Amino acid sequence: MRSVTTRTTGVVLLVLLLAGFLLLGALPNQVAGIRVAGLSLLWWYGGVLAPVMAVLVAIRWLADPLPAPPLDE
Amino acid sequence: MTSVSRVLAVWLTPAVMLALPAALAARGPDGLWLGLVVTLAPLIALGLAARPPAPPPGGAVGAGEMLFPVVTLLITVGVLLWANIALAGDVAAWLGARRWQGIVIAAAAGWLLTAWRPLRRSAPLLLAVAFAAALVALLQLAWALGLGPVAAWDRVANQSAFRFPPSSPWVISGRDLAAVRGSAPLVFDEVHRLTAPAGGVLRARTRDATRLAEIEWTLAPGQTVTLRAGDEITRGSTLRLRFEADKRVPGAPPSGMAWAEGRPRRWLERAGLAVTLLAGAAALLRAGLTPRLGRDGAGFVAGGLLLAFVWAQAWAVYAMIQAPDLFLGGVTLERLLELPAPALFAAPWRRTLQALLLAAGLAAFLASSLALRERLGALDSTGGGEIGHDPGLWAGLFGGAALASLWPVDPWALSLLALGGAGCALGPAALWPPRRGRAATTAGVAGLLVFASLAAAQLRGSSGGLLGAAIAYPALIAAPAGAFVLWLGRRVRG
Repeated sequence: MRSVTTRTTGVVLLVLLLAGFLLLGALPNQVAGIRVAGLSLLWWYGGVLAPVMAVLVAIRWLADPLPAPPLDE
Repeated sequence: MTSVSRVLAVWLTPAVMLALPAALAARGPDGLWLGLVVTLAPLIALGLAARPPAPPPGGAVGAGEMLFPVVTLLITVGVLLWANIALAGDVAAWLGARRWQGIVIAAAAGWLLTAWRPLRRSAPLLLAVAFAAALVALLQLAWALGLGPVAAWDRVANQSAFRFPPSSPWVISGRDLAAVRGSAPLVFDEVHRLTAPAGGVLRARTRDATRLAEIEWTLAPGQTVTLRAGDEITRGSTLRLRFEADKRVPGAPPSGMAWAEGRPRRWLERAGLAVTLLAGAAALLRAGLTPRLGRDGAGFVAGGLLLAFVWAQAWAVYAMIQAPDLFLGGVTLERLLELPAPALFAAPWRRTLQALLLAAGLAAFLASSLALRERLGALDSTGGGEIGHDPGLWAGLFGGAALASLWPVDPWALSLLALGGAGCALGPAALWPPRRGRAATTAGVAGLLVFASLAAAQLRGSSGGLLGAAIAYPALIAAPAGAFVLWLGRRVRG
């Protein structure tokens, strides 16, 4: 039961990471276009932050507690 | 680790991998959205509901109920192979070889690898080779340019215009217009003198004040013609043309800033793309399976997807700096497999890097072929996985895909069609397994019918709004429709 809850948390976080991109793009006054250290905020988020966060979420919340058998078994 | 490589190889086929930099270059933020969804969709699909379906109270699942997912996935795998073999043909044609040569090499190597038992376990090695070769080419390009990815992005985003570099093949020797397969109009933004080194017939639509005129020139070898701002070369001209250096590339975004900020947001299209890829990931990675990944496995899958996305972003911006002629007529996938730096490396090293890129593409295709074969075999529980080991069946699949690839198609559109169709047919039941297979089959057929109806409407053209988004991405309506039928089936059967 606990593993299902953990995975659900991970899935919700991943969906939120996707939604964050859409929300950032929808902010008024071209906020997403503000440049920080050479990249715009939208590209920092969509190209760097969200994918890196996704890796952390996958490691923390998507892992199965059982040993991993091959995919085709 | 083996299942990690299979997940990556099934998902990251060469057509998908090259679609990322192509979309990033062509559509800026929309391409970034595609890359983010491609990176996150498999993780979401793998993370959703890991419980296997409970066995039906009446006994085992009937063979008829297993037939639908097996046939659906078989067709999906066939279409994915078709898309990637067609891409091999496109790459061969773009690099100056015959289209059929690329097709034969890819199809024959793919079939040999799936038919020859000792090589069937080589998918992880092939995937590692593909990643390593693509990374070496990228790092070499970054080192030669002396620019990190962020600095490269900054340079692209600050460009006032995308212009033909003097080292471009389109400027030095010219290229055949027939090789331009993109759908973007070849409209000129400034006066441009074109030369036909070998002569030929050039058709153009010229604008004189407010009057449009269709003009056809028969050019002698070496003869030039001057087009003005607003003039357009019409499709169907097949002569070799040389463009002027430092002139704007027809079809390119107006400036780097326009590229970085993108067009007005198209929310429904973005939602449609996300639903298509999420449902497709559920079908490809979850239907009939209960994949379990440990912490290392989940980390390796997510890390591999991240690495692929970072490579795609970096490759796109380096290509836009070194070869802005990428935009000519629209960015197509095969152009991304050409080393975008003709003047940056000496001849032997340039050829080596180009060979490395092609090796990466072929290795990725072979890894995907093996992984797709194993994926299909894993679904065939009643036949003991025989469908994954039948040389005749796979010869037919590769042969059919090769034959179909002789006619150029858009590999990404084909991949999206395969993922959307499979997603609507198998996705809902894969994520929410019913106790009886019949409910899953009914929902799958309903989802597939809605998908096919909307996909057929694509032939009549697309419009705006929800209907336009549903026609462009049929899974946007068809996947929820299938899920609704599944929900109804579960309620009726209690």
